[in-house]
Amino acid sequence: MNLGGFLMLGFTWAIIIILTVYCFYKVLAKKE
Amino acid sequence: MNGTKKTRQAWGSRLGIILAVAGSAVGLGNFLRFPVQAAQNGGGAFMIPYLVALFLLGIPLMWIEWTAGRFGGGYEHGTAPGIFHTMWQKNRFIKYFGVIGIFGPIVIFIYYTYIESWLLAYAFFALTGKYLSVNTQAGMQAFLQGFQGLEKNQYFNGLATAYIFFVITFLLNIYVIYRGIKGGIEKLCNWAMPILMIFGIIIAARVLSLGTPDISKPGWNLLNGLGFLWNPDFSALKSARVWLAAAGQIFFTLSVGIGVILTYASYLKKTDDVALSGLTAVSTNELAEVILGGSIVIPAAFVFFGPEQIVGIAKSGAFNLGFVTMPLIFRAIPWGALFAFLWFALLFLAGITSSVSLAQPAVAFMEDEFALNRKKAVWIFALITFILCQPAIFFLGNGVVDELDFWGGTFALVLFGTIETIIFSWVFGIDRAWEELHTGADIRIPKIYKFIMKYVTPVFLLGLLGFWFFQEGVPVILMKNVAATNLPYVVATRLMLVAMFLVLCFLVFLVWNKRAKKGKEEEVTL
Repeated sequence: MNLGGFLMLGFTWAIIIILTVYCFYKVLAKKE
Repeated sequence: MNGTKKTRQAWGSRLGIILAVAGSAVGLGNFLRFPVQAAQNGGGAFMIPYLVALFLLGIPLMWIEWTAGRFGGGYEHGTAPGIFHTMWQKNRFIKYFGVIGIFGPIVIFIYYTYIESWLLAYAFFALTGKYLSVNTQAGMQAFLQGFQGLEKNQYFNGLATAYIFFVITFLLNIYVIYRGIKGGIEKLCNWAMPILMIFGIIIAARVLSLGTPDISKPGWNLLNGLGFLWNPDFSALKSARVWLAAAGQIFFTLSVGIGVILTYASYLKKTDDVALSGLTAVSTNELAEVILGGSIVIPAAFVFFGPEQIVGIAKSGAFNLGFVTMPLIFRAIPWGALFAFLWFALLFLAGITSSVSLAQPAVAFMEDEFALNRKKAVWIFALITFILCQPAIFFLGNGVVDELDFWGGTFALVLFGTIETIIFSWVFGIDRAWEELHTGADIRIPKIYKFIMKYVTPVFLLGLLGFWFFQEGVPVILMKNVAATNLPYVVATRLMLVAMFLVLCFLVFLVWNKRAKKGKEEEVTL
């Protein structure tokens, strides 16, 4: 994998993980 | 239609509906279609149009369906004919466009359940070791074709095994739907989704720790496998085909445009949040697709088949990857039978959480508009769809499934998504829609989305519809790629679909006609 591949993987994974953590944090916080 | 008002079903918890919508969205496409699309359309560069489509098309459509569904549910309508009618009461014909939102899910259900049953069978075969002796692509292909009844060979002597697994899968689906929204679908998704994710993480971790299994071929390693999927080819972004593929993938993966999210959201209360819940369902699906789906099949296939064969494997399609390539890979690793079981069990869970959602619109239509009780509605649905499933099973090799998939799984989706977006943003009105979306909302959506939902998403969808129609629609409609021997089967399938659509339209006509007559009678007595 070249540098571009690393960057694209890191960038995409970061967006999705941040979005998922944010959403579930908000959903579960409200539940409590 | 009925005199006595009965209470509609409801979700047991907020997490329950989020997991149910995510379960509907997470399907075979997340693990098989996505990596193939990415690898064939620019690798890492594919993620640029993919993310653009996610934010401009997928997320807005998800919000539109959640909001419209909850709005319609407030008027005791759980399916598109009634929901569209409540949003555009002056238009007498809009309810017939809503029929697509019941027709599409039924059509997908009648072939998807059969494909789902193959997954159950392969999970079972993994435990019994039935395909462990098969060690070539050609052999595994023959195994699959024998199982599907397309040929008689040393592995299978006919369709009997496949049919037994189909009946089991079909009954499982019906049982879940029979148990209702809270006791069936929500309960299933509450345990199936976490298990699916755990299985996905275990398999992805195994693939990501493959390293270089064959030291005589140092280039066949995991990093190069990930590179095959992720190394960006930015020149691909100049091609309209790549942007179209990305938009299509987002559309299919999120289960938008089918009608199932409308129905699921119709069981929410007026004050329940839809903004955060919709976004959470999207993010769960993306986690399964990009992070898990992107880490399994393509990197694993690269490591075991090398840089030359992987190109052909990626082109051979999602089914080949799932049912032919993956079992061969698992065969080559320690504890392969266990990993093969986890793989097919994961796909089966992804499948069943989607198929039960496909059944719900038709059941909800009978419950809401014909005042049937759930059990009766489920029995009618089961009987009719069991009969409709038969052509997909017995004439699989004659193009029946492809025909069903085009009309139910492609054309109906894009058309329905376009219609509902226009109704929501333009007829219902973006100001009212925005207010409705934010009723009970736990997050404030950036205002730019008001502009996106009104202008960008509809234009995006109309473009997608136009491109699809001319690129794929015209050749399919004119049956250009259908072999002469398959022509009668394809025509018969098409006639069956037309009949189904007309029957549904007639049922909608009956309900509204009766309702109008009843309204007039009540006016007279008053």
